Amino acid sequence: MREKATTLYLGPQHPGITGNMMIKLKVEGDTVVKAQTHVGYLHRGFEKLMERRNWLQSFTIVCRICVPEPDPNELNYSRAVEEIEGREVPERAEWIRTLMMELSRLASYLLWFGGQNGSAGLYTMPQWSVGDRDYILDLFEELTGGRVYHMYIWPGGVRRDLPNGFTDRVLQTMDYLEKRLKQYDQLMFENTIFQRRAQGIGWIDPAKAVEWGVVGPPLRAAGFKSDVRIDDPYLIYDQLDFEVPTQQGSDVWARALVRRTEFQQSINMVRQIIDKMPGGPVYNKIPNPMKWTIPAGDAYVKAESARGEFGYYVVSDGSNKPRRVHVKGPAYVHGVTLLENILEGANISDVSFIMNSLGTCPPEIER
Amino acid sequence: MTENSLDKEQQIVNHLVGTFQNLTGKVKRNRRIEVSIEKKQITSVLNYVKDHLGFIHFSHMSCVDWLEDGYFELVYILWSPEQKIQLLVKALVDRENASVENADMIWRQLNTYQREIREMFGVNFIGMKGDKEFILEDWDNMPPMRRDFNTVDYIQEVYFERPGREDAQNVRETISKRTGEEIPEVATKYSRD
Amino acid sequence: MPNDKNSQKIVDIIKNAARKHSLFVLAYGTGCGAIEIPPTMTSRYDAERFGIRGMATPRQADVLLVTGYLATKTLKRVIRAYEQMQDPKYVIGFGSCTINGGMYWDSYNTIKLLDKYIPVDVYINGCMPRPEAVITGFIELQKLIAEGKADGATKYKENLDWYRANQKKVIKNWNMPDYNW
Repeated sequence: MREKATTLYLGPQHPGITGNMMIKLKVEGDTVVKAQTHVGYLHRGFEKLMERRNWLQSFTIVCRICVPEPDPNELNYSRAVEEIEGREVPERAEWIRTLMMELSRLASYLLWFGGQNGSAGLYTMPQWSVGDRDYILDLFEELTGGRVYHMYIWPGGVRRDLPNGFTDRVLQTMDYLEKRLKQYDQLMFENTIFQRRAQGIGWIDPAKAVEWGVVGPPLRAAGFKSDVRIDDPYLIYDQLDFEVPTQQGSDVWARALVRRTEFQQSINMVRQIIDKMPGGPVYNKIPNPMKWTIPAGDAYVKAESARGEFGYYVVSDGSNKPRRVHVKGPAYVHGVTLLENILEGANISDVSFIMNSLGTCPPEIER
Repeated sequence: MTENSLDKEQQIVNHLVGTFQNLTGKVKRNRRIEVSIEKKQITSVLNYVKDHLGFIHFSHMSCVDWLEDGYFELVYILWSPEQKIQLLVKALVDRENASVENADMIWRQLNTYQREIREMFGVNFIGMKGDKEFILEDWDNMPPMRRDFNTVDYIQEVYFERPGREDAQNVRETISKRTGEEIPEVATKYSRD
Repeated sequence: MPNDKNSQKIVDIIKNAARKHSLFVLAYGTGCGAIEIPPTMTSRYDAERFGIRGMATPRQADVLLVTGYLATKTLKRVIRAYEQMQDPKYVIGFGSCTINGGMYWDSYNTIKLLDKYIPVDVYINGCMPRPEAVITGFIELQKLIAEGKADGATKYKENLDWYRANQKKVIKNWNMPDYNW
């Protein structure tokens, strides 16, 4: 019997989809012939909102752009403003910012551990890793007052200094996570089900990866030593000792291994940061926010988030409001062109699995 | 940052200025170069830097609306993984009937960026394929990211507002009137007026 | 089943008690609030203690959790999902942006008042609400159900024309079936 192609709509209301987006799949049997992503279900017009808010008011809404990992947004916005204005940041603030970035990377990877396994039908892992993520969120809450949205890294430094005994609690959490990581290994990487599911699935052609705009862990899993923290050093990453892990497989398995190695590295980096952190002020005071103007100019800054390169293009026309803040999330390419491309030929049951391995996050596609 | 470390960047700028007419460029800072080109040069410059100067990674494309001066500024942001330099290519387009050559055959992901800019600013990319709708759905007003699109007028026309929000008055004062609670001195010190 | 008033009351009490302990939440993360749902559902806060768990399809779900702002494009899908859900059904508005627009009060693409478009039984405020707040919201909903006051779905049926007019004001191209009870 000849197989006829049918159209399947994956999402926007679907438990397997990451976030709120839709993939229109044309399938023959169980195989995807053509995939087309539809985004825009989360569009809030952030860039328009920022035209109406002054520089400090804009800072409070940038973190809402990406939910799983809001800190790179705050950091990028602050760095862009500082670069245009030429504002100095105290050294201790740079170290605290780096600490925040690494903690948020850990939190984001823990969520990813859960999502990746949940989409393979291994439901123990989400219970563990999302529960463990809360210990990091507790640290954030103690430091900033917010679990998810922190609004902590702002132009000129950070909002407040570390509370008493905070570093000890961070180190305790790191010890705990390192211990848990061994159990994660047993549950995930030594698990035959996961191995068979992940190996050889969602292959990205390494010859095309750079040109297609792949960034972050998927690019490193394709064998490229590419990391913004090394390529375009920001904060104090050049003073930390870490390596960029790479893999050759370029499939879901390789991407999982890259993230697993980076998780361990982030724990080590947090320890180094706490070990070496200097004292001093944490905030370089800005003038009255209502009258605060930034000289005309533009800046493109980028940071390595858990999913890849996060870029901010900020333009000022010399007034007290931003002219344009344009956000480039890593999922912008991963979620649309790349996903459409590598889903061709995949099994339907792997679609959500592949999506999770790319770390597709719709809110930063449409903003 | 010493002067020496900007040599690599300056060389690329000099090379580009020598190759193309009407191209101006400058080194913004370490690892950042900015060049301004004419609208009709976009595809040729992008092709050239990709094939000959190693800017193979396309990072970002943005559009800035300069309403007062009457043009859009298109910004193509490229990255060279080998030399580790970010290149900003800027071109000005007239706001009236803005149209630019399509460049998505150079990088396929450019198609997504161009679709977004077409939808949000109304810039027409000649010869580009892809659905008209990308992010918005059934939008019948002016492209929303243009500066002359007034969101407040639009939301008052289309959406409902919770009563009490429309005047945008001092919320703390309203609450204190309702409950008889006194406003602490610290709060008045940092109030809006 | 006897038809007199008192026994009907007893049946209602038993029915509501049963309903309030099995709230199947439609797994639809409509906005950024979806990030607090995994912690609520998993080991630390474990909402299943209260009989709250996820469900994949609208037809089998009882609670529509609108997690945050609704873009107009999502509103259309939410209405569709809500109308597909079978009675009894309840709606929880999650986050400040469902109450009054929150920080997106001047955004051109998000609705500001959720209860003008679909009936809301419980609102949970905050940006974003903590898992404890989410659980408290659900307990509040359970109380309403036990008292028989969570009647959003009935209200929706009675005032369908009013809701539909509001919905069509935002959704310009209404190319989906008009359910009619």
